[in-house]
Amino acid sequence: MSEQLDVLEEDLSNLEHLWDQGLGEAFNFYRAHSEPTLALAAALVEAGCRLQGLGQAAADAGELLLGDLCLARASRLLAEGSDLERQISFATVVETVSAAAASELPSPSLRALLTVAIGTHP
Amino acid sequence: MICGRRLQIESRAQTEFVDVTASLQAEVAASGLIEGRVFIASLHTTFGLAVNENEPLLLSDLSAALERVGPSGAEYQHDDFSRRVNVPLHEPANGHSHVRHLFLQPSLTLLVEGGRLLLGRWQSVFAVELDGPRPRELALQLDGNFEVPVRSRDRELLELELGRQLAVDAEAVELPMRRLVEAGGKRVRPVLVMICSRLGSAHDPLRAATLAAAVELIHDATLVHDDYVDEASTRRGRATVAASEGPERAIAVGDYYFAKATRVIAELGQERVSSTVARAMEMICLSQIEDVQLRGRYPGDHSGYLRVVRGKTAALIEAACVAAAQLSGASEVAVRRLARFGDKLGIAFQMADDLLDYSSQSGKPAGQDVRQRVLSLPLIYATEDGPIGTRLRRLLDSELDDEVVDEVQRLVVASGALERVADEARELIEAALEEIAESVFDPIRSDLTELARTAVDRAS
Repeated sequence: MSEQLDVLEEDLSNLEHLWDQGLGEAFNFYRAHSEPTLALAAALVEAGCRLQGLGQAAADAGELLLGDLCLARASRLLAEGSDLERQISFATVVETVSAAAASELPSPSLRALLTVAIGTHP
Repeated sequence: MICGRRLQIESRAQTEFVDVTASLQAEVAASGLIEGRVFIASLHTTFGLAVNENEPLLLSDLSAALERVGPSGAEYQHDDFSRRVNVPLHEPANGHSHVRHLFLQPSLTLLVEGGRLLLGRWQSVFAVELDGPRPRELALQLDGNFEVPVRSRDRELLELELGRQLAVDAEAVELPMRRLVEAGGKRVRPVLVMICSRLGSAHDPLRAATLAAAVELIHDATLVHDDYVDEASTRRGRATVAASEGPERAIAVGDYYFAKATRVIAELGQERVSSTVARAMEMICLSQIEDVQLRGRYPGDHSGYLRVVRGKTAALIEAACVAAAQLSGASEVAVRRLARFGDKLGIAFQMADDLLDYSSQSGKPAGQDVRQRVLSLPLIYATEDGPIGTRLRRLLDSELDDEVVDEVQRLVVASGALERVADEARELIEAALEEIAESVFDPIRSDLTELARTAVDRAS
């Protein structure tokens, strides 16, 4: 978990246990393309959508709320550590995948969309 | 200016003291009367008015006194229909009711200050039925200085903007959200945005309406997810998204509108505004998790309650005030004051919401919070009471079927906890209003005052 050193402890508060459940792997993936805050925000969006079962069977209440926290934390990290255009790009990604899920349509790859969102303004 | 209104009442007993204080207050609020008088006239000869204390045993005493004044079994010439002329069909024998009416008022004048009826702590206004049950009518005339609480143009803009934001969305997300939005709701958060956005020199009604609509969509998105978590079947009188379209759709709809609102707010182009709302959203999520965890240690305690309520309810109300002021370019000092105002208002608002669980007129099933083991201040206070508390804790450890919920409700009422919570909520509102006492808030103080006081005195 040495990569976590890139991430402020408070940014993972209440979510630490997710690190070994895919959050760490996702962070490492995005970290290769961007600075830590953006990488963590992208990883949190991934984790949030996965926890909630977005586009699949609905998660139970506990996982839904944890997923909400992941998405809200990502949004706050972006609001405090990024520019408005990237906030818009990230929000658009979640709009795209959640609208597809609600419409029961196949969703584009979340990781591909987030990679584009991170790279919008290098 | 004089504004006329009518208050319809359905009495339910032959003799009944109908407490109309809250209804009159609602009429005052709806009229926008800030300083002045309300004239109330009964339009009947066996239906009077009185100001007295609403204490059940006292009301029995007063009914008994009326019976002594005009005994129902005595002889009255008015009841001798053989001697009267032009007796209407179905005329009741009600001489005693007319006699009793002599001892009541046919009309009253009440004063209004700061948008509220000026009544002493123990004073309630009663319409007194003397010959019921039957439909009755009170005529009101409100006279004085009126101020529209929220400019009607602003409210119209808000509703238009909400409709506009929904109109461009995919049907799968738009229809369920439109159902929820159009079902009503109090719109406290967006109205706060519209009011507070008037504070700064860069006030722009269109941009304020955009922010207000986004804040309302965030609130509604939290409700969509909450209803799934709480397994609620109805919201605002309609089926919840989870109940009508399944949890998968509910999760997607909530996520969509969280994200959309975030984007819309970012597009306003003010980083401080985005940060304010994003922090509030995170606080809401943290509190929701804690709220669910605390249900295992039901009914909880005061400090846990405040912590959860600060996040669950007050965070977005505070953010609505702050973000709107920031958007309009208000000073940092004013923004900080509004933050404290919003925090206190939000907590008081939730306390008032807790009280509605004990009201049969709130529009939601009484006892719902108890059934779902939702944190509730009246219950926390009632469990602090000696004998009642012990009994309540025992009941709460059992299965909460209808009978147990009814008994819990009865015990909470008997403990006096409702009055304690209502007093605390009102004190919080007064403390909130002190935050906006400085002259910088002059342009928006009356609107905020009216909204804040209505928020804790509401019936639904």
